[in-house]
Amino acid sequence: MSDPRDELAAVPDIITTDGGEGFSAFAVSRWPGLVRLAFGLTGDRWMAEDIAQTALARAYVAWRRVSRADDPDAYLRRILVNASHRRFRARRVTEQPGDLPETPVDGPADLVGERAALLAALRQLPPRQRAVVVLRYWEDLTDAQIGAALGCSPGTVRSQLSRALAKLRTSSALAEGDDA
Amino acid sequence: MTATEDRELRRAMRGLLQDVPPSAVPLEAIVRRGKGIRLRRAGAAVGGLALAGIVAATTLALAGGRHQAAPATVPVGPVAPGGVIAQGVADGHPWRLAAQNIADPGYPCLPGITINGTDADWVYPAPGTAGVVALGPALPGFGFGFIQLPADINGVTVNGHDRVQAVIVAACGDRYHIVGFAYPLTVPLRVTVVNPPPGWSTVTMPVISTQPPSAATTPENPGLWINTASVPDQEASGILASGHLSGQEWLIWLMTGAAGDCYAFNGAGNQMGSCGPMSTPTGPETIVALPLGFPNPGSGATGYAVQVSPGTAHLKAVLSDGSVELVTPRVVDGRKYAAFIVPSSLRLSRLIWLDARGRIIASTTALPPYGYVQFQP
Repeated sequence: MSDPRDELAAVPDIITTDGGEGFSAFAVSRWPGLVRLAFGLTGDRWMAEDIAQTALARAYVAWRRVSRADDPDAYLRRILVNASHRRFRARRVTEQPGDLPETPVDGPADLVGERAALLAALRQLPPRQRAVVVLRYWEDLTDAQIGAALGCSPGTVRSQLSRALAKLRTSSALAEGDDA
Repeated sequence: MTATEDRELRRAMRGLLQDVPPSAVPLEAIVRRGKGIRLRRAGAAVGGLALAGIVAATTLALAGGRHQAAPATVPVGPVAPGGVIAQGVADGHPWRLAAQNIADPGYPCLPGITINGTDADWVYPAPGTAGVVALGPALPGFGFGFIQLPADINGVTVNGHDRVQAVIVAACGDRYHIVGFAYPLTVPLRVTVVNPPPGWSTVTMPVISTQPPSAATTPENPGLWINTASVPDQEASGILASGHLSGQEWLIWLMTGAAGDCYAFNGAGNQMGSCGPMSTPTGPETIVALPLGFPNPGSGATGYAVQVSPGTAHLKAVLSDGSVELVTPRVVDGRKYAAFIVPSSLRLSRLIWLDARGRIIASTTALPPYGYVQFQP
């Protein structure tokens, strides 16, 4: 690490770049929620962090606009969902399906089993359906808010959710998790 | 989907995502990435100019100091005593929103809006600015908000039925035309202005983030105000502590502003940041933990930052091996803070507040492994 005075000199670059006033505090406050949402969308902790970084970097670029938006979180969500979809498409081409992604934390065996089962069930869903489920049952968003995040109508959200839930209902992984 | 399935899926989702450990916020990497995007967009030649612009803006921001807002138009009228904006009883718990000086005695006046005398929000005269806060267990189920109104608006309607009257309050030589109210967290907050004058747009209030599902009434960050974006985000900043550990340098600094008291701990190439509520001279101490190695205990040093009460001359940190660190608080913008680090092999066992004569003011063992707790000495 460099001299602390150099670090001090670096601080303003983080916290008050042009158009970036307050970005640091915004990023600090949103980071945990973004990582959790991204983990729900991807099932991969490291990809989740990368996507959360991408979303905040894009918010940084458009900070003047974001900071004045009525709902900056909606803007971030949309970037995050788009980034996860792009990543999913790239991954589908370049990677083979692997083992279950690691669970976020250790815990009692039944809890870990349930998390793994839900992750497996979510992985069976196409990205858009998965996003609808996570935005509804984790973020607790309305159809309209989910539609805004996905760039589709509330009606499409309802139909995607209906299909996703039908698949989850028949998911053996989820059933095993419930039994655990 | 049945109600039971619905509930089960929410519960399972919470189980999956709630415990995803928040890692250190990679601020530098994010900003670097953002700059990279900008440069790519602008092109390499223009990029150099863009960076020069960043440096210039930074210098101006530092030289500018405290935000100087244009004076607001406040109607002529009597000033509410004690700076009280609004008060009442919410579900049996008394509450009071007030404008007051939040600086330690002997320092220049700093105006803030407080809830029950603490958990302050910076304020300056500017119609249209607004903020909300929730306190969690101290005042469960309710949020509290304020809006600064122009002179020709007398009040607002909250959630369609509660008509709230604006008052004039004074703090640190400025007057504020302001309305304050409480509202249940179970219902989305909707504020309307009756017959808004020309140039006055609709009130858009910030939303308090609650523990998912959002119908729950437990705020994610009790005591932290959420402001409209027009509020200046940074009022002041300063280094609280720095040093060496195992041959490596570390630094803890404070950025105080609209997001509360935000701290960053930089060491061994990692950074951890967290924000906590801004207390008042008589309010509780906010103790913030910044573990570099979170969530793996012992995998990195932990930084601690404490906003201490004015009478604190030293903060004594007792570590798990019995060793003691004696920390002298530093003043940033009229308020006292103490910061130190605990090596990864140890943990913080106790904090002791000492006055100028070395007498114990208070002590606590209720210390956070990460995030913040509030402690009333």
